Amino acid sequence: MIIRQLGYAIAFAALVLAAAAGLREAVASGALDAESAKRIMQAMLGLGLAGYGNFMPKKLGRPRRSPEAEARMQAALRVGGWAMTLAGLVYALLWALAPLPLADTGGTIAVAGAAAITLGYALWCFAACRGARGASAQR
Amino acid sequence: MSRVFKALADPTRRAVLQHLRRRPMTAGELSALFPVSKPTMSAHFAVLREADLIDADKQGTTISYRLKLSVLEDALLEFAHAFGIGAGPAAADGNSTHHREGPAS
Repeated sequence: MIIRQLGYAIAFAALVLAAAAGLREAVASGALDAESAKRIMQAMLGLGLAGYGNFMPKKLGRPRRSPEAEARMQAALRVGGWAMTLAGLVYALLWALAPLPLADTGGTIAVAGAAAITLGYALWCFAACRGARGASAQR
Repeated sequence: MSRVFKALADPTRRAVLQHLRRRPMTAGELSALFPVSKPTMSAHFAVLREADLIDADKQGTTISYRLKLSVLEDALLEFAHAFGIGAGPAAADGNSTHHREGPAS
């Protein structure tokens, strides 16, 4: 399972490197202008993030001991997955269609916002779970 | 992907996924929520497992199921639920799956 995931990650990295090299060649030969090459590359990265976010809720790991912890972990993965997928799509769309300054700022805000939501919700779930465990231990 | 569409086409299977959205549940708990026989429920679980929409963990004689939906599958589930795709319950895929799954416990 880990080897397969690693394989996908390496394949995606190779694809990004190959695309970067191809775009560089296209710019050097005059077939593509530098702005278009940058837009294509950034849109591709956005789609990669959306793809990763899409599969995030499927990476469950081992079952937790308590159903409460399991439910919260799944909720955190779901929220993170949705946030990353939507952020990736927004990033790709902005870089494909919006003016460069807006794409740059808006894309960064979208991805940073998704990361903050993912991390914040995961921490909230963790704290709620610990709180519930502490309360049940006191009883 | 066709397995996913097939799995989401049936309202009972969609309802199972909606219940699992709240928390992981055992096969027995889920079976008790539906007015169908346990072998039929087992066949539904087998279809969902084949589509990789749920994850099963067997502890002794108890099988616990938990949700395993990608974002796209989650969106498809909501879409199918909202528009009532496959309004009548589909056959739970024959008797062959009953033997593979065993009784819902």
